[in-house]
Formats: sequence, structure tokens, C-alpha cells
Amino acid sequence: MLEFYEPQADFGTPEIESETMVTLSIDGADVTVPEGTSVMRAAAEKGIKIPRLCATDSLKSFGSCRVCLVEIEGRRGFPASCTTNVEEGMQVVTQSSEIGKLRRNVMELYISDHPLDCLTCPTNGDCQLQDTAGEVGLRSVRYGFEGDNHLVAEKDESNPYFTFDPSKCIVCSRCVRACEETQGTFALTIDGRGFESKVSAGQSEDFMDSDCVSCGACVAACPTATLTEKSIIEAGKPEHSVITTCAYCGVGCSFKAEMKGNDVVRMTPYKDGKANEGHACVKGRFAFGYATHKDRITQPMIRESIHDPWQEVSWETAVNHTAKRFKEIQSKYGRTSIGAISSSRCTNEEVYLVQKMVRMGFGNNNIDTCARVCHSPTGFGLKTTLGESAGTQTFASVAKADVIIVMGANPTEAHPVFGSRLKRRLREGAKLIVIDPREIELVNSPHISADFHLPVRPGTNVTVLNALAHVIVKEGLQASTYIEDRCEMDEFEKWSAFISDDRHSPENTEQFSGVPARDLRAAARLYAEGGNGAIFYGLGVTEHSQGSTAVMAIANLAMLTGNVGREGVGVNPLRGQNNVQGSCDMGSFPHELPGYRHISSKVTRNLFEGEWGVTLDPEPGLRIPNMFDAAIDGEFKGLYCQGEDIAQSDPNTQHVETALSSMECLVVQDIFLNETAKFAHVFLPGASFLEKDGTFTNAERRISRVRKTMPPLSGKADWEGTMALANALGCKFQYDHPSEIMDEIARLTPTFNGVSYAKLDKLGSIQWPCNDHTPAGTPVMHVDEFVRGKGFFAITEYVPTEERANRKFPLLLTTGRILSQYNVGAQTRRTKNSEWHEEDTLEIHPHDAEERGIKHGDWVGIKSRVGNTVLHADVTSRVKPGVVYTTFHHPVSGANVITTDNSDWATNCPEFKVTAVQISKVTAPSRWQERQKMFNTQQQHLLAKARH
Amino acid sequence: MSAKKIDRLVKMVNQISLNMRSNGEEDFVAVQVSEHLEKFWSPPMKNLISEQIDKEDLGLTSISYSAVKKLAAIQKMK
Repeated sequence: MLEFYEPQADFGTPEIESETMVTLSIDGADVTVPEGTSVMRAAAEKGIKIPRLCATDSLKSFGSCRVCLVEIEGRRGFPASCTTNVEEGMQVVTQSSEIGKLRRNVMELYISDHPLDCLTCPTNGDCQLQDTAGEVGLRSVRYGFEGDNHLVAEKDESNPYFTFDPSKCIVCSRCVRACEETQGTFALTIDGRGFESKVSAGQSEDFMDSDCVSCGACVAACPTATLTEKSIIEAGKPEHSVITTCAYCGVGCSFKAEMKGNDVVRMTPYKDGKANEGHACVKGRFAFGYATHKDRITQPMIRESIHDPWQEVSWETAVNHTAKRFKEIQSKYGRTSIGAISSSRCTNEEVYLVQKMVRMGFGNNNIDTCARVCHSPTGFGLKTTLGESAGTQTFASVAKADVIIVMGANPTEAHPVFGSRLKRRLREGAKLIVIDPREIELVNSPHISADFHLPVRPGTNVTVLNALAHVIVKEGLQASTYIEDRCEMDEFEKWSAFISDDRHSPENTEQFSGVPARDLRAAARLYAEGGNGAIFYGLGVTEHSQGSTAVMAIANLAMLTGNVGREGVGVNPLRGQNNVQGSCDMGSFPHELPGYRHISSKVTRNLFEGEWGVTLDPEPGLRIPNMFDAAIDGEFKGLYCQGEDIAQSDPNTQHVETALSSMECLVVQDIFLNETAKFAHVFLPGASFLEKDGTFTNAERRISRVRKTMPPLSGKADWEGTMALANALGCKFQYDHPSEIMDEIARLTPTFNGVSYAKLDKLGSIQWPCNDHTPAGTPVMHVDEFVRGKGFFAITEYVPTEERANRKFPLLLTTGRILSQYNVGAQTRRTKNSEWHEEDTLEIHPHDAEERGIKHGDWVGIKSRVGNTVLHADVTSRVKPGVVYTTFHHPVSGANVITTDNSDWATNCPEFKVTAVQISKVTAPSRWQERQKMFNTQQQHLLAKARH
Repeated sequence: MSAKKIDRLVKMVNQISLNMRSNGEEDFVAVQVSEHLEKFWSPPMKNLISEQIDKEDLGLTSISYSAVKKLAAIQKMK
């Protein structure tokens, strides 16, 4: 998939789906295309290029530039081929002397108000205006350049990633339309009329001051150098490209990494990528600079104590030292005294190898993954009810949804490319129900307004879900035939009796949830009766003490209304990180082997034992919180932590820090000295996604290739580092390429039986299950029957969290994410994305702020039962009274210093979303923040000693 | 054995029982809770609570007590 650089093919107007085909003649050649296709696209599909400027196949045809004129037999004049649809028997001519003359005249007008600096222009050789001038044979401009023009219009350099040079603008509106149609933000407009027409961000603001979210869709759409990436201005045109998969959120966008030598100069979203179809966000498209940031550590390091300076060593020394330490610990404290945590940021092949090393080399099942702290309840809940621990749909399926529930998720911030798809469907008329304590963007944004916003009080999701089901059952709105055909009827009857109880009525649950009964009833009727109903949910559902119950309640709702098993419906967990689904699939939980098969199954163990040549422990190992507790109890002494920053991302930071400080050998493999690494004894340098081969599996179960664009800076990709450590422990791993690891996964995992790198290269991506029954993968799950056979309605009793607000802690803190930053921020904080979000702030309602004498921007102390921290206040009505909100992207914020040890009853997923707090005005950082600052300075000093 | 450690386990079992309590009759739920512990808890956790159950009043709810008794029986057979 290494290619010389070529812009992606552009057919001019979007692809049309129709069962009726139309045949026409273009330049004497017969072409057959779906009804509704434009003449321009029909020509392009036959390989006939019609010059154009305002048309591109990601946007609806517009017909403003008049360059794409053609002749059509029987029609007067010269219709624009972009806005003229094909008709049966149509005879089209795309080239004639008259057409040529008209096109030249049009181009002449454009060029008369355009700088003639092609040789020094940053898009020289990659400019549609330049190409089109050449195609139409423009040789001179008769009008001169002395008259009124826009050639001295001032550049807007405010955006850190691209420039806006209006002197080069031809006002084709592609950028404006991309902002509207592709991204759905409506930040751009054409201001003025006639000669005064100009592209304007917001109310003639700079791009940075406008509503622009820097997705880059406008830059990609621009046919001139008006909107140009600064990286291209600095480095010039790329010379080759590699198709790979984004390493940020669970959308899993496909990109062409456009390169000059080993340097990425631009990330262009890949049009054939099925998760994103050519769109991207500010993180995936622009925030790749962290991969070569000066903070990267590229040499293995060891030290005896965390108060010692680091010592740089070879890979061989580092892994041998680690293996020796781990063996010593096991010999002293027992076989189960060590374990590992793998990461959803690493590839499938890498997380597979980590769990294999733990089970073979450590001889236990002490392997857990960061999905523990995000979507472990999804695994439990969906497996219990539907039979598979995964979402049911493709992202594209939302285009067929009629009623969409978004619960505990904020797609426009955390899954922006899916957020844009969702907005498109909403603009087309789909109904929207938002269940969230905050007024997220989808509740009210340009051309979108939620039909219902149910502002649930943190911790009471289950009451709302139960009440929705209660209304549907009591009002007889359930899909009875579907339930009878596809679900366990005994269990349904039992559940039906449970949910019909009056305690689940909206009028009774309102006291807990704060959601008005009338709105809830109306929302339930809309979901049950509004056509295809699709539910999308996120960590606002899972990260509760009842997270698993809420997931099961969501599955119940979908089954109850017959909304599982076809396009446009389903249960869709929006995964936080790029490979959450994959890391769970690969056996990263302490009780499961790859493919979600319990470790106690002798048949499954025999399969792996046969392949690996060892005897496996049949008992579950420790979960992450169990590891921390055991470490503090002195029973767990060694940890290999790959690509995960548990010191920042896990709850009750001081508890985590105590656990990490109790370890005798903490090994961290990462690209930076993250917060966890500051407690480590061994540091193994990690590789960014640009430095390795592998696969990621996104939230749609879509397995996509990650392809190496440059050699690993440390000399080893992460899978090679793990292999070296495993072999130092006595395992005999022998892989020359990650494709061999995938072959092993496929041999051992029924849902992956048909997956191979060759097939991935051929198909582009595959949604598992992929096996003999479904050789091309499975876009929609549970089509004819549920994976478990009959659907299971689980009883979903509401059990209030123990974390209650009271007089001492009267407010409820909930946490979330922001568009420009990603997770703990280790990557995005090392990019210019920080210009949008330099610090985490505390959102507080004006009423709560006024009561405490807090003004916007004040320092405020946030105190919970376990700790306190200090942030600046953001006084806003996005949160309702009684609720405060923050993000956790900066270590110094200490957001998790205040979150508690409470966790989901079934999976121990932490209850990040509910913490009782008190807020007060303060003048200084918290003690923890002071300590963190000192500790960080000390650790940076110890690192500096190793590097000099 | 630290008091804190067993308290933690007791809290976890009670939380599981509370969330499963509406699944059916008490005996039925106790079996489900016991199966959950067997499926997801590591051996040291299972062993500790099984060993401690009759030594003192741990504060287990009625369902939790029955569940841990069943778990202890399974552990004994291993």
C-alpha cells in the first residue's frame, strides 16, 4: 500500500444509489449508471474528465463555476454537467471548439483576479485551478490586472494548521459547502454580493475566533491555494503516501499518510475508508506532530529506585534485566505477584502478544486492559443480552435511522467524524433524543435541535432507561412478533412483569433522575413508534456503579422495539480509544481468552495450549483495581504496563500512586515519560502508530490495517519489544511480521477465522465475525437470530450509587472530553491542539457559582471525599444546577484526584461520572497539585541526567 | 489478613447481590452471585472470602452469605 503521491480520484459529484440504471452516450461511448447520477460523474466513471472547479464528489453539485459545460443533443445552450442528471438515451459531447472557447473565457475571468505566482505557490503541482487552466488551454488574460481585484487581500494565519489566503480565492463555495455538508458546523459563509463576495469565517472573524472546529474539510475541498495546510507550505508537496488508520478515537478513520522521505507532511482522510469516507477531525488530520516531538524517548532505560536517575541501556539489557527482576519477584512472592496492563492504543497484534506473554511467560492470567475503565460494562452487558460483546452496526447505518438516541456520549467532541454523519442524518429529518446531564452540542446546534433532551441526574441512567421501557410496555408499544420470534419468552414475561411495576413509571422515577415524566413518556413513544430506532451510547453510560445494568437496559429497549438486526437500528457503543474493541477481542481481560471465551473452558484452553505448548491457568486473574489493591497489600509487586497511563487515567489518583509506589518492578512501555512512567523502574520506548504494522478494530468491529510509514525511532515496534521481553522470560516467540501474529489469532479465534492481511489489503477493512459463513465480514450483527440464540431480557433493578450528595458535598461532578484533546492528552498536548484547550476547567452553573461568590475565570477548589484539586471556573448553563463538569486531559488538573474507588458491580469499571463534591473559591493550587509539580520536576531532572 | 482487604471483598459481594436481587427468589439469586464470583474473581479473592465466612460476622447480606457458602463449597472441591 506504499504509493507514489497521487491525489485521490474525484468523480465530481457524489455517488448515487438506485436500482434503476440509465444508459447514455458520452463522446460516443455508452455509459450505464444509476438513475440520478450527474453527467459529470457518468463521464468520470467512463474515464472522461470534464474540467471543473466548484464540483467535488464529497459535495452536492452546485453549478456555480460554469467550467464543466457540455453539449447535449436536443438541448439548448451548454448545460453544466454537474447539475444535469443523466437520462436514458442522452447524447453528450464534452469537447468541442465552442465548449473550449466558453471554458477558456470563464477561466480567463477567474485568472484575471488571481495572483500569477504559480512557481512559488505552496500548491504548485497540486492545484485544481492551475490544472484546469492547463486543461482548457488558457494562454493569456485580455483584461489586465490593473482594475479592481482581491490580490492584496490579507491572509488569515490564525489557525495553527492552515492559512486562509483570500487573494487566491475564486469564491467557488466548496469550503462553505464542506463546512455545512461534510462537517455540519456552518462556520463559514459567503459574505457580500457580486464583486464583494468573499468567504468569511463566522461574522468576518479570524478562523480561530469563529465556530470553526478545524476539521480541515474546507482545506481538503479548496481547489486553489486559498486554504492550505501549513505543513505543506513549509515542506512542499508529498512524494509518496501510505494508507493507514488513525490512532485517536474509536471511529478508526482511514488516512493516506502523505510523506516526504520518512516525514509525514499531511494526513489526508482516505475516501475509500468505510469508517470515515474521506472526512477527518482536528486530531486525526492535523495532530500528528507528537510522533516526532522532542519529548519522545527512544532508548530503553532502567533504574533501581524511582528516586535514582535513569540509565540508558540497550534493548537486550533492558529486557534481560526485566525478566530477571520478574522472576525474582515470582520466586519471592509467588506466581501471581506480577501482571500486565495492555492498551487500547496498541494494535490487535500487540495486545494479543501481551496477553500471550502473561499467560505463557508469567504463568497466570493477571492481564487486564484499559477497557476496564471505559467499556468493560459493554462487554458484560451485550454478551449477557445479545450474546456478543460488540456493537451491532456500521457507522453508515445511521443514514437509515429515523429516531436516534444519544446517551452519555458527546459524538461531536469525542467521535467527531461519526458526529458529522449523525448531524447529516438529523438535518435530513431524523428525530433525536439526547439523554445526558449536560446540554451537549447536539441538543442545539445549527440546523439541529434535539426533539427531547432528558437531562438525567448523574448516577440515575438506569431509572430513565427502565422508565422508557415501562412506558413502551404499559402502552403496548412493544414489537410483540419480533419478541416472540427472537427472544426467550419466559425471561421476557419475567422482565415484563418487573418493568411494569409502578416504581418504574416516569412519574415515580422523576424524583431520582430529575427528568420530567411528560418528556420521558413522549420520548419513549417516539423511540417505539418512530421507525428505525438507533441507540448510540458512551462512557456516560458505562462509567457508573450500575454501568453494566444500564448497558443491559439499553439492549432490552432495542429488543423490545425490534430495533436489532437490520440497518438503521441497533445498539452502538462509541468506544473512546482507537482499539478498545480490538483489545477486548484479543483476550486482554483476566477471565477471557481471545474471542471472549472464558478461561475456565477446557476446550478453549486445550486449543491455545496446543498452539502455545504450555498449560494454562484455568482461573481468572486480577483486574486493574484488584492489582492496585493487591499491590498496596504487598502481594502484587511487578507490572508491565504498555501504552497506558494509569496514574492519570484511573480514579482516585492517590490510591493509584500508592499502589505504583509499592511495586518492586514497574515496567512502562510508552512513547513519552508519562505520569505512570515517573513511578517506573524500567522504561521501554514505544512506537507511534506511524512506526509499525498491525491492525486496529474500531467501534463498528471494523478491522483496518495500520501501516508503517517510518522506521521505529527506538529500533523496535511495540510488538517486537514485547516479543523480546517474552523471549527473555523463556517464551519462544518467533514472528517476523505482525501478519504472522494475525494468522495465529485467526487460527485460534472463530470470529477471526477468515481474517488475514492479504484479505484486508484486498477488501480494505473487515467487520468481524469473518469466517467461512461470512467470508467478507459482518456489517450488521444478529440479523436472523441473536448470537446467543434467543435474545435475553435481563432484569435491570436500579441500585443507587453509594456516592451521594449531602450538605458537605452538595454538587455532583461528572467528567468528559473535549474535541481538541484526546484522553490523558499525552499526544495532543504535544501538538498545536493545545491552542484550543490549554487547561481543564470546571463548568459550573451560574446559580451554583453565584451562591458561592464564584465568577468566570476564578480559581476554585473542588473537594470530594477522597481528595481535592483546583481549576479555573467556567460559569455556564451547559450544566444544570447541582452538577459540575470537567475534563481530564492535563495531568496537573488532577481530575482523578477527586474521583472515587466506586465501581460497576459486575466489571469494576470505575464510577468516573458521579463524584459528590463541594466547590469554593480559592487562591492557590491544592497540596496534591503542589506535590505533583515537585515530583514532575524531580522526575524530569532524573530523565535529563540519563539523556546527557 | 488485613481487615481492609476482607471488607473490600464483602463490599463487592454485597454490591453484586444488591444488583442481582430482583432476578428471582433468594436461592436462585445466590446461585447467580456465586457463579459470578466463580467466573470473575481471582483465586486469592475467592479463597480469602471462603475461608473467612464462618470465622466472624463479615457483614454479608443474606444473599451474599448464601452465595459465598456455595462458592466456598466449590473452592473446597478444587
